[in-house]
Amino acid sequence: MGKIYSLSDAISEFVHDGDHLVIGGFTTDRKPYAAVDEILRQGQKDFIGESGPAGGDWDMLIGEGRVKAFNNCYIANSGFTNVCRRFRKAVEEGRLLVEDYSQDVLMLQLHAASLGLPYLPVRLMMGSDLVDKWGISKEERQKIDKLPNDKFVIQDDPFHPGHKVVLCPVPEIDTAVIHVQTASPDGTCRIVGDEFHDVDIAVASKHCVVTCEEIVSNEEIRREPEKNSIPGFCVDAVVLAPYGAHPSQCYGRYDYDKEYFKEYDKASRTDEDFKAFLDKWVYGVKDHGEYLNRLGAVRLAKLKAVPGFGYAVDMTKEGK
Amino acid sequence: MADYTNYTNKEMQAVTIAKSIRDGQVVIVGTGLPLIGASLAKRVYAPKCNLIVESGLMDCSPIEVPRSVGDCRFMAHCAVQWPNIRFIGFEANEWLHGTDRLIAFIGGAQIDPYGNVNSTCIGDYHHPATRFTGSGGANGISTYSNTIIMMQHEKRRFMNQIDYVTSPGWIDGPDGRAKKHLPTNRGPQMVVTDRGVMKFDEKTKRMYLAGYYPTSSPEDVLENTGFEIDVSKAVRLEAPDPEVIRMIREEIDPGQAFIKVPQ
Repeated sequence: MGKIYSLSDAISEFVHDGDHLVIGGFTTDRKPYAAVDEILRQGQKDFIGESGPAGGDWDMLIGEGRVKAFNNCYIANSGFTNVCRRFRKAVEEGRLLVEDYSQDVLMLQLHAASLGLPYLPVRLMMGSDLVDKWGISKEERQKIDKLPNDKFVIQDDPFHPGHKVVLCPVPEIDTAVIHVQTASPDGTCRIVGDEFHDVDIAVASKHCVVTCEEIVSNEEIRREPEKNSIPGFCVDAVVLAPYGAHPSQCYGRYDYDKEYFKEYDKASRTDEDFKAFLDKWVYGVKDHGEYLNRLGAVRLAKLKAVPGFGYAVDMTKEGK
Repeated sequence: MADYTNYTNKEMQAVTIAKSIRDGQVVIVGTGLPLIGASLAKRVYAPKCNLIVESGLMDCSPIEVPRSVGDCRFMAHCAVQWPNIRFIGFEANEWLHGTDRLIAFIGGAQIDPYGNVNSTCIGDYHHPATRFTGSGGANGISTYSNTIIMMQHEKRRFMNQIDYVTSPGWIDGPDGRAKKHLPTNRGPQMVVTDRGVMKFDEKTKRMYLAGYYPTSSPEDVLENTGFEIDVSKAVRLEAPDPEVIRMIREEIDPGQAFIKVPQ
């Protein structure tokens, strides 16, 4: 069978209850929201989650109680919601197991996973409560198969006597979900703009689901191999999903949807409004196509990134 | 003619940030006031500085104010789009190479006398009254880089003992960083608030008031600091040039993403 899937089939085949799930993108950029919405609609749960800098993607999953444990380095819809509110509420009410790493450590852990390293030795986190305070205790960790027994281990640096290093666990990722600009039927991917940690998690995961703005032929994507990011054999499913990162940005294609993020900021304040929001934008549409129709063509057109700027600008006002 | 003499404390803060940046420096900025300040520095005070962000976008010159360090407004106007891990490697290498050109802006919710910063939670970490974003790049930055810390100046933020140390400063004094196996020749250099500028004593590593704004005073700072602070060395800082305020309002942040114009 080929790798081109519908979003629904890709998620049902590759995302399962209890997965160690990692999502690509960075706060409000290239988050695979179409895929996250589909996970929500299908109902998978009990995720061990991490994503590098997270935003509304993980906030919705956490808000819907789908996450068993979350490795956090940062979670915000930067510029719109300073701290994701569903995450915040879950932690403040003691409903979410959360462990804090610094962003540097978490990103390096994902990179280490892509290199197949057994663990990650760093100089980071020392002198802080990231070392002294564990969000998930040793006892709790032992009860959850997919969590390492220790947050880290501190050891003497064998190469620099008198110094210490922090040995961090390397994640064993079940499924990665990322959004890219271009892919081809054999799974080859081209990311334009900052790749963030998306190549790392595609390589490191047992399964990788890619949503993309466009699918071009295998021959076309090979015309400029220097622009390509992920070889096809690291990818399990290619899903055509134009605007699949909406409301987040997709470099060279579209800007973030400020209106949506402001609406989410408001809706995520209360349980009732959050539920109503999801009923409107997630559960109330049967698929990504219907979601786009609900947004409407004009709204989407206004988000188009303008060449020369790289984001949405009202060009009818330029030069007036 | 619009009035540019009616500056706000936030604008004063942005100008103070801008003046702390030197030509030739590589500056780690986030969003918010540090970005406004850095953009101003690039235009006026230090045109040969280079701005970088923790998502890996290097040597940025944004036209429109970005809202996130991953924003296309940085991504489309930078020299190189690195992945985040390259940025991490770069700051570690700057320390390994012993350079003195890297300076970074971080923020938080609480700070103690030695510049240790909390951006994780208020109250007990395991049952927090308020939960924040967590470290982001700040812990890594405060490990390897010299920092300038942005804070709003309030008693509940400037505390003798903060609830969680996200970003290590000078720890507890002159040997603090060495004891914690942190680079000893890196640490907080300055705290810029909406009332003034704090620096750190060379010997004790404790912060003192270095400068206060025309709208503030040493008494004002004492009143709003939750620990003992030496104000004896404080000097009154100059009000910002109206042309600089015009630049902030009309060129750098015309959409008022981070700084509102007073009515």
